[in-house]
Amino acid sequence: MASAVTYTAEWPVLVSIIFSPPQNYPLYIRSVPTENELKFHYTVHTSLDVVDEKISAMGKALVDQRELYLGLLYPTEDYKVYGYVTNSKVKFVMVVDSSNTALRDNEIRSMFRKLHNSYTDIMCNPFYNPGDRIHSRAFDNMVNSMMMQVC
Amino acid sequence: FSWKLVTPWNVRCYVKSICVHMRDPNNQLHIIKNLKIAVNNIITHPPQPGAIRKLLNDVVSVSQPAEGLVANVITAGDYDLNISATTPWFESYRECFLQSMPASDHEFLNHYVACMLVVSSSEPEPVEQFLKLSQEQHRIQHSSEYLYPKWFIPNTLKYYVLLHDVSTGEEQRADSIYEEMKQRYGTQGCYLLKINSRVSNRGMDEQIPDPWSQYLQKNTIQNQDCYEDCPYTVISNKNTDHLISDGLDSEIKDGLSNNFKTHPLQLDHPSGSLDSTDYVKATASLQDSKKSNSGTPHGACLTLTDHDRIRQFIQEFTFRGLLPHIEKTIRQLNDQLISRKGLSRSLFSATKKWFSGSKVPEKSINELKNTSGLLYPPEAPELQIRKMADLCFLVQHYELAYSCYHTAKKDFLNDQAMLYAAGALEMAAVSAFLQPGAPRPYPAHYMETAIQTYRDICKNMVLAERCVLLSAEILKSQSKYSEAAALLIRLTSEDSDLRSALLLEQAAHCFINMKSPMVRKFAFHMILAGHRFSKAGQKKHALRCYCQAMQVYKGKGWSLAEDHINFTIGRQSFTLRQLDNAVSAFRHILINDSKQPPAQQGAFLREYLYVYKNVTQLSPDGPLPQLPLPYINSSATRVFFGHDRRPAEGEKQAATHVSLDQEYDSESSQQWKELEEQVVSVINKGIIPSNFQPTQFCLNRYSDNSRFPLAVIEEPVTVEVSFRNPLKVPLLLTDLSLLWKFQPKDFNAKHDGETKELGACDDDMIGAEAIAEFLINSEETKVARLKLFPHQTGELHILGVVYNLGTVQGAVTLDGIDPSIGLQTGKFVSNGLSVRGRQDLEIQGPRLNNTKEEKTSIKYGPDRRLDPIITEEMPLLEVFFINFPTGLLCGEIRKAYVEFVNVSKCPLTALKVVSKHPEFFTFGGNTAVLTPLSPSASENCSAYKTVVTDPTSVRTALLSSASSVDFGVGTGGQPEVIHVPLPDAVLLPGASVQLPMWLRGPDEEGVHEINFLFYYESIKRHSKMCHRVLRHTAVICTSRSLHIRATVCRSNALEDEEGRGDSMLMFVDVENINTSETGVKEFHIVQVSSNSKHWKLQKSVKISEDKDTKLASRERAKLCFKAVRCKNSEGRFCPEYENYTFADIVFGNEQIISSASPCADFFFQSLSSEFKRTHVQSHAHASQRAAKQSFDETVRLIQQCSEVDLNVVVLWKAYVVEDNKQLILEGQHHVALNTVGKEAFSFPQKQELPEMVLLKFFRPENTPVPARPTPEQLSNLIKTSLHYPESFNHSFHQKSLCLVPVTLLLSNCSQAVVDVMIDLRHKTTSPEALEIHGSFTWLGQTQYKLQLKSQEVYSLQLKACFVHTGVYNLGTPRVFAKLADQVTLFETSQQNSMPALIIINNI
Repeated sequence: MASAVTYTAEWPVLVSIIFSPPQNYPLYIRSVPTENELKFHYTVHTSLDVVDEKISAMGKALVDQRELYLGLLYPTEDYKVYGYVTNSKVKFVMVVDSSNTALRDNEIRSMFRKLHNSYTDIMCNPFYNPGDRIHSRAFDNMVNSMMMQVC
Repeated sequence: FSWKLVTPWNVRCYVKSICVHMRDPNNQLHIIKNLKIAVNNIITHPPQPGAIRKLLNDVVSVSQPAEGLVANVITAGDYDLNISATTPWFESYRECFLQSMPASDHEFLNHYVACMLVVSSSEPEPVEQFLKLSQEQHRIQHSSEYLYPKWFIPNTLKYYVLLHDVSTGEEQRADSIYEEMKQRYGTQGCYLLKINSRVSNRGMDEQIPDPWSQYLQKNTIQNQDCYEDCPYTVISNKNTDHLISDGLDSEIKDGLSNNFKTHPLQLDHPSGSLDSTDYVKATASLQDSKKSNSGTPHGACLTLTDHDRIRQFIQEFTFRGLLPHIEKTIRQLNDQLISRKGLSRSLFSATKKWFSGSKVPEKSINELKNTSGLLYPPEAPELQIRKMADLCFLVQHYELAYSCYHTAKKDFLNDQAMLYAAGALEMAAVSAFLQPGAPRPYPAHYMETAIQTYRDICKNMVLAERCVLLSAEILKSQSKYSEAAALLIRLTSEDSDLRSALLLEQAAHCFINMKSPMVRKFAFHMILAGHRFSKAGQKKHALRCYCQAMQVYKGKGWSLAEDHINFTIGRQSFTLRQLDNAVSAFRHILINDSKQPPAQQGAFLREYLYVYKNVTQLSPDGPLPQLPLPYINSSATRVFFGHDRRPAEGEKQAATHVSLDQEYDSESSQQWKELEEQVVSVINKGIIPSNFQPTQFCLNRYSDNSRFPLAVIEEPVTVEVSFRNPLKVPLLLTDLSLLWKFQPKDFNAKHDGETKELGACDDDMIGAEAIAEFLINSEETKVARLKLFPHQTGELHILGVVYNLGTVQGAVTLDGIDPSIGLQTGKFVSNGLSVRGRQDLEIQGPRLNNTKEEKTSIKYGPDRRLDPIITEEMPLLEVFFINFPTGLLCGEIRKAYVEFVNVSKCPLTALKVVSKHPEFFTFGGNTAVLTPLSPSASENCSAYKTVVTDPTSVRTALLSSASSVDFGVGTGGQPEVIHVPLPDAVLLPGASVQLPMWLRGPDEEGVHEINFLFYYESIKRHSKMCHRVLRHTAVICTSRSLHIRATVCRSNALEDEEGRGDSMLMFVDVENINTSETGVKEFHIVQVSSNSKHWKLQKSVKISEDKDTKLASRERAKLCFKAVRCKNSEGRFCPEYENYTFADIVFGNEQIISSASPCADFFFQSLSSEFKRTHVQSHAHASQRAAKQSFDETVRLIQQCSEVDLNVVVLWKAYVVEDNKQLILEGQHHVALNTVGKEAFSFPQKQELPEMVLLKFFRPENTPVPARPTPEQLSNLIKTSLHYPESFNHSFHQKSLCLVPVTLLLSNCSQAVVDVMIDLRHKTTSPEALEIHGSFTWLGQTQYKLQLKSQEVYSLQLKACFVHTGVYNLGTPRVFAKLADQVTLFETSQQNSMPALIIINNI
């Protein structure tokens, strides 16, 4: 039975998600322990509000030369949520265990960059229909390796 | 008779509207607006925590959003959300919560200020009573036994009220008592209140609204626990209070303060049993309900003037008693403070400095105390400030209040009295906010600190909550939503679900109300709130929260979250008995491609079924519910008419016909359609009737479904439904059957019957077959075939399927039995949960795209595949093939039998068969013997009709003749349609007929699929269905056998009896090209037959001595025949009557009569197919020819002379060893010879396709060269031959010149007059030629000009002169010919004859 959302479980996790701008629907979601996936989804979905807020706070003038990495979206007791937005407003969100101290801002940033590159590769695929869910083995592998590295 | 007196209504109504003036300590006039007074029983007890919890719960659950409430639509980004702007449940919760706050020691806001003593005028000693009551009050306030009612200041204001019931009491007495009171307490301190001027319950003509109605309910609940021990005095306490509320929203303020201060007061008439006290104040409704049986309206005895009096009384009390008292108290407190200030300030600081050393331990004690709560004595000076502040606050003097609170706060903080400090901070913040004009910004940090202190240091969640509620309200009013949300969220904790739920919901509303609404946060917190609500047992609220959150998550791809919400909604709706909502929510989880794990899906499904079951149980007679599972791919639905195919019985092989197992093949279905059209057009003499509808046995998405299909009564209609299970758990459908509607109709009587729906019961019309169990495994697509048996004519509409949906018992081992055993036996254990429901089959037709309108819009045509018309009975044919081969040699003839069985109750007639390959088979011509041998008897016998011949007659032809008409071919029309010679042309019901059928292996090697379409009709003509058809596809594999090439050439010999030049030589090359190792040993040519209208074979020119021509693999034989023109060839003039002459040249000792079946049948069929082929080719040239009509005439004439129409049939036997058994196979090959000198083949050589044609980008010049007859053709006009002695003896000694007479025979082969020129002069082209041949000379005329008529033979006498012995070639004359009447010269030298050698001998 579906359990409601509580803030209790251990999260040795990383989730990486990509949103397409218009509807903000998920293009790709992965989480390592699958048993608490629902909670992840809620968290990530909610964090979109913060992403929106951050983007609008940045103002229009800075759009061009702005930093794509948004930094920590919000911390909770158990995990940290980081965000990243491309110039075309595709959003990347990552959730990591807050006890994982090895992950500094720089590591997160480089992980996002990696994700972004892979995403660009997918978009370059002429057979990929923009807006579809991502089903790419290469992308999966990349995410897997990233998660392995983290956990 | 009960007396009721209630003040609250008056209080609220009255005092509110009046501005009350009051003087503050500095003698400034201060205006109080909307002063509210709360009147309470003197004996109240602090509410128990459990009771409060229950109360709050009830308050929240009672308050639900109004049904018809129009929700606000908030548009945020892409979201349009319907959210109710108001949350009345939260407001009532807040009120109730604040009201139920117990009075505490550190603040005085809900301490009593004044006391009202009420005595009835009917009391025997009212004045005594007043005294008693006054003492009582004093006792309560000052003795230590009553802890609870807390008093503001020690000397409470006492106000004496004499209550006079006008209806019973004497007015004078009351007045006199009042006078006495006035003297005693002063006019300011007492009041005479007259009520009940009207007799109770009588004369209800004056309708007065019940002033209590809106308060009673709430207060009943509130006071339930405190009324038990209140048979006491009538002492009411008044506590003027004004609680904080945001100034913006007076609505809330009202609501907020109402509850707090109102109280119904009921005076009961004294009953003797109560000890001397007279007036019992009891809570309203409980007592009331005991007495008045049916909720009599309160205040029924009060007239409007009474209401006014009550109002006046309150006003009087406020102005005369209360406010002056408060004013006085404030002044007193102020004076105290001022007097203390100078002293205490310095003193305090001095003592602090002084005793700093010794203060330390004290402080630590204080700190210790802090944790439990430092307590000041009630009269401590620090509390006096607070008291004054509270009093100022109550009379709305916020400025003064703020400064007092501020001071108090400092003091408390200095003393580390954290609880007090927090209280002061809280109130300071509130009064700062409430100050008119807002001179200072709202100190939010005060609140923060207060909340933190309450929560963390004092561990008092109730106070913290109050603080948060206030603060959040204030922040919201200042549009600081995110701060408010943060505050609210911070207070959620595990200890109270209800509070957490409400606060989370408020937080969610804060998020959505922000300037840029945070929709997702809203949704998330709504879900959290919903979860908390459901934990707190507030199901309706929980459901509402989830529903609101759903708006955000719906259809955005967050499937996991969506499923979760839907599931919860489903559950909550179910527990609230909103079954329809529950069903739709669960349905949603199941249909949307769920990404949940199988276990979860199984749980969803079970829950869904359970809910559904409940729904259906509620309305058992309702229509069957539409089930969402499994999916039906309705466009993949197939409908099949007719019985299932019977399996082959031994040697018998049933016609393949059509079955549902076959895949649809558009190419073949097109072929069948064409075949049917052909046969129908033949039946209808070349015209296809307009209402012709090709028979479709199986309707699917590709077939043409625009017309109603026809089904025959008593023949089953099978519907194949394609189910797909989207879930990862298996689904079990039980009792699966079709749902249909039937309209009986007699198509002959033409009257409409009534419509019958869903006739599962009336089997007399339609019988339905049900599938007991149908299991669809996880994510499987499976088809179910369901049958209907129509028993009446009419219109059938298949609507859908009906079934019980259930699940399979999971892999749980029950009683040690492995469930897989159950599965193997095909019995699935349903876990008992199943729902009966239906699913409709709705099929969308093809998109229309014909007219412009249809092209621009999207329109779909009808699809009628599920609406068959049941027609009356028709015959039904079954066809079986016996000894039907699967493999043949090319050209092999095999005899098989066909059995026709009429399985219906109707006679059958006009049986025909049509095929694209009519040359493949024959039933024998008219001449064939129609009484067939039984198949077994004819085994291993020759398929041919044979006659034993005289061996001496070898090499000479045996003649016979036959007309093509006899064989049903050559008459034009459709050669593909073959009539089946039934004995009486009718097949009676149940009868069967076996007919022989000869097959000939197609000439082409490979696998051949040959389609037979059997056509038949009923004897009776029906309006709906004229004919029926049966299909059969035979698959034949052929292997190579012989290859035959034949040429004819004109024979030069003119030794014909008549001396005419009409004889030809035919050369036949036979090659064994069989390459297969299996068995075929050798081929024997047994007979060569010719058939032609004009020619016949005469004899075989002996080449080899072999009697039989045997051909082993890859061997080749050459046969040579002489052909002559038939005698009856004058029959040329009537070409329609095509009589063929058959000439057989037999090599063995048995003549196969080639003019009989089956040899002739196949011959004619090959002829007609040949004809067809050439016809098509000639058609292509037809246009060119027409243009050159005149010119053509001559060409044609010329061409004709080289044309022959000789057809050769080579009959052979093949010796095959198969399974150590020798078999003799027979066969025949056909060669059609058309042109002299041109090679013809038994099987047309495949033309190699030009590999690639360069594309030409210019238009080809279309100026065809005039069709010139080729020189070759022209050279055939005249046939020449020289007649001379082969050797000539001449004595050159005697005579040096040798003269030899030579006859030159010229015969005109053409039908026209030909001019011939003969030139005898030597053509001295090469000197060598002269030497070789020697020289001779023609004597006499060297050039002749002749004219030869058609077919004329002319002999010309020539003389040759030789001078030496030797061998000479006489063939030197050159012959030129041209058509006589043509000017144009096609003068060509005629074919030079072979060297004509003559030997000249010298004797």
